[in-house]
Amino acid sequence: MPEDQIDRRPRESGGPGQTAVAATRDSRLRGNDEKSATGAHLLEFKGVDTHYGDLHVLKTVDYRIAAGEIVCLLGGNASGKSTTMKAIMGSVAPSRGDILYEGRSLKGVTTAERVRRGIAPVLEARRLFPRMTVYENLEMGAYTRRRGPEFDEDLARVFALFPRVEERLHQLAGTLSGGEQQMVAIGRALMARPRLLCMDEPSMGLSPAYVEQVFDIIRTINGQGVTIFMVEQNANMALSIADRAYVLQTGQVVLSGPAAELRETELIRHAYLGEVTVA
Amino acid sequence: MRSTLAALPRVWTTSLFARVPARTRTRVGTLVIAAAALLFPLINSNDADIDAAANALAFAALALGLNIVVGFAGLLDLGYAAFFAIGAYAYGVASSWQWHPEWSSFWEPFRWLDLVARYHQGGGDVVHFQVSFWLMLPLAAAIAAFFGVLFGAPTLRLKGDYLAIVTLGFGEIVPIVARNTPTITNGAMGLNGVAAPQFFGYDFGVDATPYYYVGVALVAVLILTSLRLKDSRVGRAWMAIREDEIAAAAMGVDRVRFKLLAFAIGAAFAGATGTFYVAKLQTATPEMFMFPVSVMVLVMIVFGGIGSVWGVVVGALVLQILQSWFLEDLSQWLHALGRFAGIDWLQHIELASSIELIFGVILVLMMLYRREGLIPATRHVRALSVDEQNVQVARGGFDPVRAITSSDRRTDGPLLEVADLNVRFGGLVALRAVELVVPVQKVVAVIGPNGSGKSTLFNTITGLLPVHTGDIRFAGEEIGRLRPHEVLYQGIARTFQNIRLFPDLTVLENVMIGMHARLATGPVGALLRLPANRREEEAARERACEILSLFGNRLLPRADHLAGSLSYANRRRTEIARALASQPKLLLLDEPTAGMNPAETLELADQIQSLNHYGLTVLLIEHKLDVVAMLADKVIVLDHGEKIAEGPPETVRRDEEVIRAYLGRSAALA
Amino acid sequence: MSDYGVLLQQVVNGLSLGAMYALLALGFTLVYGILELINFAHFNVFMVSSFVGMWALELLGISGQSRVLTGFALAGTLLFAFGVTMVAAGVLGVAVERLSLRPLRGVRGTAAMITTIGVSYILFNAILLTVGAGSENYPNPLPVVRWQFGEVTLELKELLIWGIAVALMLALHFFVSRTRLGKAMRATAQDAEAARMMGVDVDRVIVTAFFLGSALAGAAALIFGLYYNYTSFIIGYTAGLRAFTAAVLGGIGSIPGAMIGGVLIGLIETLGGHLIAVRWTDVIIFSILVLVLVFAPTGLFGRATPTKS
Repeated sequence: MPEDQIDRRPRESGGPGQTAVAATRDSRLRGNDEKSATGAHLLEFKGVDTHYGDLHVLKTVDYRIAAGEIVCLLGGNASGKSTTMKAIMGSVAPSRGDILYEGRSLKGVTTAERVRRGIAPVLEARRLFPRMTVYENLEMGAYTRRRGPEFDEDLARVFALFPRVEERLHQLAGTLSGGEQQMVAIGRALMARPRLLCMDEPSMGLSPAYVEQVFDIIRTINGQGVTIFMVEQNANMALSIADRAYVLQTGQVVLSGPAAELRETELIRHAYLGEVTVA
Repeated sequence: MRSTLAALPRVWTTSLFARVPARTRTRVGTLVIAAAALLFPLINSNDADIDAAANALAFAALALGLNIVVGFAGLLDLGYAAFFAIGAYAYGVASSWQWHPEWSSFWEPFRWLDLVARYHQGGGDVVHFQVSFWLMLPLAAAIAAFFGVLFGAPTLRLKGDYLAIVTLGFGEIVPIVARNTPTITNGAMGLNGVAAPQFFGYDFGVDATPYYYVGVALVAVLILTSLRLKDSRVGRAWMAIREDEIAAAAMGVDRVRFKLLAFAIGAAFAGATGTFYVAKLQTATPEMFMFPVSVMVLVMIVFGGIGSVWGVVVGALVLQILQSWFLEDLSQWLHALGRFAGIDWLQHIELASSIELIFGVILVLMMLYRREGLIPATRHVRALSVDEQNVQVARGGFDPVRAITSSDRRTDGPLLEVADLNVRFGGLVALRAVELVVPVQKVVAVIGPNGSGKSTLFNTITGLLPVHTGDIRFAGEEIGRLRPHEVLYQGIARTFQNIRLFPDLTVLENVMIGMHARLATGPVGALLRLPANRREEEAARERACEILSLFGNRLLPRADHLAGSLSYANRRRTEIARALASQPKLLLLDEPTAGMNPAETLELADQIQSLNHYGLTVLLIEHKLDVVAMLADKVIVLDHGEKIAEGPPETVRRDEEVIRAYLGRSAALA
Repeated sequence: MSDYGVLLQQVVNGLSLGAMYALLALGFTLVYGILELINFAHFNVFMVSSFVGMWALELLGISGQSRVLTGFALAGTLLFAFGVTMVAAGVLGVAVERLSLRPLRGVRGTAAMITTIGVSYILFNAILLTVGAGSENYPNPLPVVRWQFGEVTLELKELLIWGIAVALMLALHFFVSRTRLGKAMRATAQDAEAARMMGVDVDRVIVTAFFLGSALAGAAALIFGLYYNYTSFIIGYTAGLRAFTAAVLGGIGSIPGAMIGGVLIGLIETLGGHLIAVRWTDVIIFSILVLVLVFAPTGLFGRATPTKS
């Protein structure tokens, strides 16, 4: 097994508003280059900067996600997690750097084309179409694809994963509970038959029972071959199913490494709660 | 003066015009315009031309009025012609033979005042109205103002385009009512016999010249009124409402009052103009006041420059002159060209009748390519030079004593008490049984994960969200039912998570709006500019500059820059300065250091600490827990709308519950 | 005729008018549902289309009401006229969107609405200047057939109007609920950002909404001409006011709302004119508009929020 280290970026020491984690002598910016059999990463962020007006949101961010992984992106409020998702889907364009999917740059590629190439989103707070039925929502997930036997296969697969969804097939999506909506939202994304599923805070607003279910399903889907890149606030749950994780703080990656190791350390807590330690 | 001196070496490259200081430029310019206006009929004695000029002046007056409603206060009124009609018919009925109710003793006092006369007609005695034109001018303005409030009141809570539709509705109803009540208005045939004004025995008759001079006087008065209102507490309140209503309310502006004031004053302008116009025309028909007239005035202000007093006057005059002179001449010229070139349709073209088509084209083109109009309302301030930008940032001689009210009275008991607060938002329970105590002159921080209800708490305290159950007490007084501007008046000021500044106003104006609740100048004071008003304005400006100087030279050199053009960090500072300007006892800061780099964060945290040392109580939402550790005396943790922990920063940070709230519940499966 | 009979007749007339207003309101509401834009130009697209319809019929050699057709000739003629008018209207609507609204798409506030006022003006005056202020006698090949039901008279043209209007509304319903693009339209109206994330070409959806909406206005325009046997430059304002109120009454942005609102306004117009006075119908309709917006802004079926938060 490749030697993985928890990657801690050296930081300018001291001052409020940042983690002053003691920089160890041998921390490197190596990241974790788990490469898939084909040798290329499924998704890569290379030195990506984004701006919102003159507000610098993402600051030279690097991610690497290999096919078949579950990678989660953690961080507190206003860390840039949602912006990451938007950049992948194409709502926000990087002001510097590049995003690569399957080895090719996504610069100038429309959202529709990205969906066609196999990236599907599960949006923050679900965002189902409230006055369309569950079935119609699922159909919209497959919007970029031709209808045919594949559509029916995918539908069957969604029903297998979410029996509740099949029960409520012709109900208006807006009338479902939060947890049920989340199932439909995931199902909708799966209807695009994606290679990469981008999930934005799947546990938000859900009761603990549903949170467990959702994370179970994420594992199952991953087992079926879908790569998952997940933004989450609930670090504990996310780390329990993820292979690797990145931790964002005010737009910069401050930690990255195998999930198991990150779970053990205090560093996550530091990143979320911003402890000041004298360097 | 410094800028003039600095410009001296370049004197040969800058034009003569730019070299003259602004104040003198304005005075000379005004004198020139006034002279031209007064001398015009002596230069051109063609009665038709003078009449056209008088019409143009009437529309300039209308444009000024609509400019107050649309340009200053941001309320899109598409039915403005209704007020024009009301003023017109008011004078028309009050001075013509149209309406003659039966005589009764009720009218006796009016006859004594010489407002009506008693005539014998048919079988009995009737009333003949003969109100003087000069009396009617202010009276019609007042009547129109009343209707302005009446028509404006239903629109107060509607958003922009719906407000427009409702005003359009009223704008259409008025002329239709006029047409269908012939007893009073003579319906579609039009009022006739409207009396011409008399001036010390001199009857205006049909000569256009005296009307022209009345028009000049009217427009001059309205220009002065507009300028004085714009540059006053009232004008600032209007512009704040236009830019961001919520922020305006949070800064103490009573939205209802000022919106109705805008409607009333705008309508008053139109009412007076209606009287003038009808006196000149000596008739009034409903067709004169229909939707196309409202649109025409709108085109004039869009063309001239929405919000700019001189701009809309120019816009109105240009478009009127276009209609009455230029197009006629152009048509003649095209006829000649047609005859010369043998093109038939050119010889018959009548551009004057296609004026409305031209207006439509102008409106579309202006909207697409130059929304700010010919003479934009916001002036561009020269950007800071490279040197000025890179100057060492010095924090101001920190003497905020004058900027902060010392927390007087009621030192026993907490400043803010929230008890058992329940708030519903969007059908969900946003806050559940929250309780919170902010002791006087302390800093309390509220922290918690996304969606835990922190901003909802702020919104409820400041009156933007209603309390479902529970108590909010400020200095012992219950404030849960107060509206946002009333909360500010009590002494609570806030900043917003997403920075809600007024982007098209300058930094200084933004800060001065913060003072709105502490100043007293109303529309009358703004208009008259009595010494007391001028002193108050001067003092306000001074105080605003003092507050800006709290941030060293970051904001003060940019005092005349538009707030929207500032960097993110400076906009945040301006927002805090604006809140401080209201002399709050309690300052609510919603993520003040968000988006700032570590150095800026430290600087701001330092400044907040100093403000607190000088007497300001602070309630703070923050994510950077280092900042919280540095500033807060007490920390309150919210999660899913409930308080889950409370205590000094150190204790809270180690609390199991808190950690779990942030990091999420552990998985049942390891 | 007894009072009751007159009343019933007015109801019948109101239903026919209502069908026309429903079509016009539908077109308006389609655009609003997606863009939240009040498109004033819609009603003068309607007016211009009625002239297009007139010219289309004249092209077939029909002018005035003298030439009557039946059977296949009539069907073919109507098909041609409706086809031409609806397509021309659709193209005009899309042109308005591309040229004057698309550049303003990010601008907040009422700028776009004001621009539609300008465009509306341009269309109105273009017709006024070219065709003149008089009303035009509308070519009408429909045979005049009447049936008597007690005291109520029903004309063939009314049945035809109803038939066409219902057919178009069913077609629209089919489009938005069964076709891919139609569902994309509904999705965009409910959450444009999420729709984009599904790969929907929001721009194409907007163009489609404008085309369909304007085409419906075109159909309504031809119906107007065939019903009243005249058209003029002013009908955009008169019918437009009613259709606009219908859309608001039904709930602006709601398709069933526009249909029901249209019928209601048609009935209010005829009954109001009969029970009160024709010259007051404008005031009645404006008053309904104002009252709905002020007291019940979501109308009957709508969910748009016209009040500030």
